[in-house]
Amino acid sequence: MVWEGDRGASGGAEDDLPIFNAENLQSNVKSIYYSRTFLSIIGGVIAGIWGFTGFTGFIFYFLVMAAASFGLATQAKFSVCTYFDSWNRIFLDGIFGGLMSFVLFWTFAYDIVHIF
Amino acid sequence: MAEDLVLDTAIRDWVLVPLSVVMVLIGVLRYFVSKLMRSHQAPDLKVVKEGQVILRARNLRAAAGFIPAKSFRARKIYYTNEENGLLHVPKGQAQNAQAQMFSDPNLAMDMMKKNLSMIIPQTLTFAWVNFFFSGFVAAKIPFPLTHRFRGMLQNGIDLSTVDVSYVSSRSWYFLNLFGLRGLFSLILGEENAMDDTQRMMQMSGFGFDPTKSLGAEKDSIDIIQHDWALPKLEKRAEDVLKKLVK
Repeated sequence: MVWEGDRGASGGAEDDLPIFNAENLQSNVKSIYYSRTFLSIIGGVIAGIWGFTGFTGFIFYFLVMAAASFGLATQAKFSVCTYFDSWNRIFLDGIFGGLMSFVLFWTFAYDIVHIF
Repeated sequence: MAEDLVLDTAIRDWVLVPLSVVMVLIGVLRYFVSKLMRSHQAPDLKVVKEGQVILRARNLRAAAGFIPAKSFRARKIYYTNEENGLLHVPKGQAQNAQAQMFSDPNLAMDMMKKNLSMIIPQTLTFAWVNFFFSGFVAAKIPFPLTHRFRGMLQNGIDLSTVDVSYVSSRSWYFLNLFGLRGLFSLILGEENAMDDTQRMMQMSGFGFDPTKSLGAEKDSIDIIQHDWALPKLEKRAEDVLKKLVK
C-alpha cells in the first residue's frame, strides 16, 4: 500500500475539544477508500484463481478487509486522533462498497480459470 | 448437487470479456463527455454573495468556542439582527428569489443533461446485451443462491434443472454495473464513478434554495450556546513559555 497521502488531521492539545482539519481528514478517508477498493479487486482475483466457492469466498473477503484494517491501524500508529475522527473510519468504512467489486472480479477470475 | 458444466471457451472470449471491456469504455466515455458538456454558467452575483455569507456564518458556528463570549455575541447580533442583519431576509424577497431559480432554464438543462448522460448508456447497453447475448449460460457465480433468484438470474435459459449458479449474460451485465464502480473511482480519479446522482442533487440543492438556507443558518446561530473552549489558556501559555525558557 502506498501512503504518500496520509496527513495529520487533528491539531491542538489533548485536553481541549479536538479540532479537525477538514481537508486533511477528507484526504485520509479517501486514501482509505482507494486502498480498500484496490484490495477488494485484487482479493477477488485471488479468490477466483484459488477456486474459493460459496461462503469461503466471503470469509476470504472479510479476512482481506480485516488485514487491511490492521494495516491501516498500524500506519496510523494506533492513535485514532492523529489522523481520523473515529475508529469507525478505519475499521468499517468502505467494506460493503468493496464487496461488489470483489464479487465481480471473483466471478470473473473463477470462470476464466475453472470453467474454461 | 450439480455437476460442473463445462462451458465453451468461445463464451469467455466473446461474451464476458467484451461485455466488461465495453462497460469500462462506456464509463470512461461518459466521464469525458460529461466533462465536455458541463455548461459554464456565469455565477450570479447575488447567489455567490449569499453563499459566502452562509459560509461565514458556518465558520462562526464552528469556531464559536475560540473567541471570547463578548465578541461572539457581537458577531451573532451582526448576523441575526432583525433590521439589517446579514441573514435576515424579508418574506417578500424570499419568494422572489426562489421563483427565479426555478424558472432559470440553465439549471434545468444541466440537470436533464446529467440525467440523460447516465440513463442513455445504461439503457442502450442493456438492450444490446439482451439482443445479442440471450439464451445461453454465460457464467457461473462462485456462490450458491436460492431458487428464488432463478427467475432473475437465468432469464434466457429455459432449463429448470440447471443450477442457479449458472447465470445468463443479463446478470453478468448487472454484476458489472455494480462492480465497476470501484474500478472507475480508481481509474478516473475522484468520484465520477456512479456518484453522479449524488453530485447532481448537491449541485441542484445549492442553486435552488439560497434563501431557505439563510433562514436555516439564522436559526442555528440563534440556538448556539457559547462554549468557551480555552479556559485555561493563560496557564497553558505560561507552561509552554516556561519550558521554552528553561
